[in-house]
This record gives sequence, structure tokens and C-alpha cells, in this order.
Amino acid sequence: MPKIKIALLIALLFSVCIIALFLGPRGINPFDLSDIDRTIVFSIRLPRVLISLLMGMALGASGAVLQGILRNPLADPYILGISSGASLFAAFGIIMGFSFIGTFTIPVLAFTGAILTGVIVGIIGRKKGGIWPERLLLAGVGLSFLFSALLMLMLSLSSDEGLRRSVLWIFGDLSLSEWSRIPYGSVFILAGLILAMTRAKALNALILGDELAHSLGFSPHTERLVLFVSVGLMTAASVSLGGMIGFIGLLVPHIIRFFMGADSKVLIPAAALGGGALLCVADLVSRSILPPMELPAGIVTAIIGSPYFLYLLRRKNVLSI
Amino acid sequence: MEKGEDEVNQGAILSPLREDFFLEEIRELTMTVFRSQRNFSTVLSSFCYNLETRLPGSNSQGCSRFISLRTVIENSLMSLKTAIFSVVLLTLYSLLITNAFSDDAPERIISLAPSTTEILFALGLGEKIVGVTSFCDYPVEAREKPKIGGMSNPSLETVLSLRPDIVVMTTDGNPKEFEMRLRSLNIKTYVFTARRIHELPAAIRDMGRVLGAEEPSRILSAEIEKAISRLGNSRQSDSRKKKVLFIVWPEPLIVAGPGTAIDDALNLLGVENIAGNAKTSYPKYSIEEVLYQSPDVIFIGKGMQANMRKVSRGLLHKLSLVPAVKNSSVFFVSDSLYRLGPRIITGIEELETCLK
Repeated sequence: MPKIKIALLIALLFSVCIIALFLGPRGINPFDLSDIDRTIVFSIRLPRVLISLLMGMALGASGAVLQGILRNPLADPYILGISSGASLFAAFGIIMGFSFIGTFTIPVLAFTGAILTGVIVGIIGRKKGGIWPERLLLAGVGLSFLFSALLMLMLSLSSDEGLRRSVLWIFGDLSLSEWSRIPYGSVFILAGLILAMTRAKALNALILGDELAHSLGFSPHTERLVLFVSVGLMTAASVSLGGMIGFIGLLVPHIIRFFMGADSKVLIPAAALGGGALLCVADLVSRSILPPMELPAGIVTAIIGSPYFLYLLRRKNVLSI
Repeated sequence: MEKGEDEVNQGAILSPLREDFFLEEIRELTMTVFRSQRNFSTVLSSFCYNLETRLPGSNSQGCSRFISLRTVIENSLMSLKTAIFSVVLLTLYSLLITNAFSDDAPERIISLAPSTTEILFALGLGEKIVGVTSFCDYPVEAREKPKIGGMSNPSLETVLSLRPDIVVMTTDGNPKEFEMRLRSLNIKTYVFTARRIHELPAAIRDMGRVLGAEEPSRILSAEIEKAISRLGNSRQSDSRKKKVLFIVWPEPLIVAGPGTAIDDALNLLGVENIAGNAKTSYPKYSIEEVLYQSPDVIFIGKGMQANMRKVSRGLLHKLSLVPAVKNSSVFFVSDSLYRLGPRIITGIEELETCLK
């Protein structure tokens, strides 16, 4: 049964991709491509669709993993401060006008900020030879408050132009998608995803509690560390590809749980597929709804997703994760 | 005692040697009169007290009653005199103050926007500027001026501490509340309302009139008007309108849309701004749309900045099918058109040279 549902999700994802490729501010007939149409499909829309898939998958999967290891339904990939670190570094680069490696400057800065934050949170969360969920959570929240404050400080000191570009970046901006970003993005995200999927059994055990996990033959601390690394990789790469996209990491895993249950072996890939499909649709909407302007995709995901989530919450008889 | 004071008052009014001294003196006197006005109310209340308690009271203290009544009446008459005098003084003082402000040109000016700073310098008022925003970077002298904060969040305290005669603001970027607060603190403001090129000459003339730089403002606005009308005359000769895009920032793609000075300049030059129908003035623009619209010429602003070419490379690569990129009609231009000020003419001429 889960296999059929996963297959259905893959089919959904595939059709969403096709639709996103040929729909947009102007529809393109796939059987009659002019030169400009070809450029638009292959060098603008295709990388954009792929990057939205990668980001959505990373966020959905890392949300599912994180809610498991922290045993907290409110956890999302941004709660660990990774995104605040990335935003801080990216905004700094944008406002100072850095461009030492051309268009890669801001993504690389954001990735550095994200990884750095992840490492700091990991170090603070570690005590007595292991990572403790509560410590991790509090370290992340504390650090992200600090980074948000620094970010606000920087934004309030910056010129209007720098401010606007930083805000656009922070809201999630997929218009910067280029082929050149896909290789490194996919390496980190797929590595994190595969790592998380191979440890799905351990995650199931961790959700039951450390003692049960231990008696089932898993070392809770090692497993948590491995899963934390996978989350860090996925989130950092996703934020550096296109800024902060809200909603997906928090709510897509819950929506998937409503339909497919909480077994991590199914949940992680399904949340990845669902997140990818949702972000792809959201990006399609954000670039088509007010042509020739573009809206931040992060806003659209939340506007589409939150009402649906609330509707599901009302309909389904779910009391806990 | 009161009599002596009156004499001093009159003396001061009769010998107004220097205006500053005079103003100072009158202010002080008004304060004194204010103080004696307070006395007046005390006296009045004691007067009433006397009337109510002493007069209808027992006759045992008839003599003292008489004396006190006389003192009371004398006192109150004196106070009445001071009160009337103080009203006269106050009117005189306020008249002098308003005259000083409306007749004389302000000596200490604060500019709350980069564009008005540029206009003030162009009108030769640079010496009188005592404060600018931290974004005022043109002309070079503006960078040396004391900073009062940003355009949207200027520091009220800093503005006050610089003791301005007038604060020049703009409707394009300064918060309205700030102007209201300044006015409630009795600081004079001048609000520059022009947002489009065709509104600029009249606005500059008005500003020159208020700030005591009428002659320079006439010259500057005439120059701008001449440039505008010259372009208006030469425009008819063009047969097909060239399609143009003015890029403010390549990544993310932000372009100059309707209602901006850049859009006005492009219209004056007789070319079509392909972002002219967007919904906001600086929209984040769709790259696909640029490909469809296929502009003949692309301008990239702030092109003199070292990194602008590097940052634009990715975008121009994506746009390689567009005529502007194919025919290498991509021009890196200055930021002269970003601010509605005296550099507008240079900016228009710069675009004109590129279009030829």
C-alpha cells in the first residue's frame, strides 16, 4: 500500500514538473518551440523547476527527520538557527555588495553561514558524549534569536536598495536559479537525503524514546548525530539555493503523516516528494500570478499550504504525531 | 517695583540697536511679564477673598479693611496694566519671530534626502547645510556634512541638536509623521513634492524661493526645462520606437518601472520602456518576460561600480537571444537618473548618447 502511494506521489511530482515547465506568465506549446521558447524552457524554467524540487525535497525530508529526533511536532528545519545563520551571512554579502566569485558569492556565503551555525548548535547541543534533543532545540532557538537580532540590526542600518534585495532573498527567491547551481546543490541534498533514508529505522526507534532505541540495538547518540548532520546538509544547501521558504519543512511532514502514517521509512521519501511538488507549484504560481512581476515563492507556499493544513487538521482524527 | 520694570521695558523697545539683541531682550521681558501674570492671579484671588470675607464681615477692623481694599484695588490695577502690556509684548514678539523666519533666508538647513541635498548644493546653498542623511554621497562635499541617520529613520534628536532654521524633506522616502513631529516642535519644514521629471523645474523654483536662492533656482530650472523641450522637439523624427529596459539590479532582476524618473527620461527620449506597464515603480521582473519583449537596448545602472559587470554576466548570458545582447547594445550607465535632482540632465544626455 505505501508503495502505491509513493508511486502516486512520484507521478504527481512528475506531472507538476511538466506543467511548471510549460505554464507560466505565458504558456508554451511543447510541440512548437520557437528559439525564445526553447531558451525559456531549457535555460530558465528547467533549472528553476529542478531547484524548486531540490529545495522542496530537502525541506520536507529534513522537517520529517527533525520532528523525529527532537520528538517535537513544532520542529522545522529553520528552528535550529541554520536559516538565520544563512540569512545573516547572505544579507551581509548583499548589503556590502560582495561579488568575489560572481553569482556564486551569495549562495556560498549563505552555505557557509548555515554550516557554521549547524556546527555551533551541534557543539552546544553535545554533552556527556551525545547530542540531547532539548539542548539542541534550545541552542538552536537561542542562536537564531541572536542571529535574527544581528540581521535586523544590519537591515536597519542598510540603504533602501540593499534592504529590499536582502528581504527578497530572505523571503525565498527562485529567480536566481541557474544550471551552475544544480550540481553542488544536488550533491549536498541527495547526500543528506540518502543518509536520512538509510537511518530511517533508527529514527523510528528514536521516536519511541532513547531507552527503547537502545534496547532495539541503536545507539541513540550516534544515530541522532548522523541524522542531525543529514538535516544540516539538506537545510544548508536548500537555503543557499534560494533563501528561506517557510511552511514546507514544518507542515508537509504532518500532511504526509495524515495520509501515510508515521513510519519514517515511508515518511522521509514521501515528505521529500510532497515538499518538492508543493514548492514547484508555489513557484509556478508566484511567477505567473502577477506578470511581469514575480512574488517570493516562500509567501505562496504558506498561503497555499496553511489553509489546506488547517482543513486537514479539522477533518482528521489525529491527536499527536 | 513694577513701575521700574515698566521703565526697563520701554527702554528696551525704544532702543532696538541690533535686531538679535532686541529679540533676546523682548523674549526675556515677556518671560518676566509672564511671571508677573502669575502674580496677577494670586492678587485677584486675594481680592476676591477680601471682598467676600472682609467687606460683609464685622466693622471692628474698619480701618484695616479700608487699607486692604485700597491695596487690593491698586494691586489689581497694576496687574491689569502688566497683563495688557504682556499681551502687547507677546504680539510684538511673535510678529518679530515670524518676520525673521519668512523674510530672511534660513541660515541652517538640514536635508533629509539625497536628491534634495543635490539640489541644495546645485543652488549654491551647500555652505548652509548643517546636516544630511547617511546616503547623501553627492557631491563629494555632502559626505563631509554631519549625518542625521537614514531617509526613512532620521534621528529626531540629532536634527534638533543641529538647531536647523528649516528642514528640507521629500514625499518620496521621508515619513510624513517625521514632518508632523518637527512641526509640532516648531521647526520649520519644507517638503519637496516633485516625483517626476516634468514636475522638477517648478519644484526647484519653489524651493529656491523659500530658501532664498531664487536666482540660482531660476537658472537651474530653466536648464532642465530647456533639456526637456529640446528632447520633446527632436522626438518626432523617430519612426519606430526602440524597446528599452533599464536594469537597476541584475540578480534578482529589478528594473525601472512606471512613475520613476528613469521611465520619464526614456519617454522623453522617444523610446519604449518595456517595464512601463508593471504595477510598481521598481518591480522584480520576470526574465521570461524580458525574452518575450526582446528589448533593443538594455541599460544597466550604477555600471561604474566595479562589480556590476561581474554581477550582470549571468543575466546577460540568459538573455543572449535578446536583440540588445546580440547587437551588443547593452550599456553600463551611471546612477544620475536615480535621484530626481540636478543630475537628471546629465543622465538623460548619457542615455541619449548610448541610443544614437
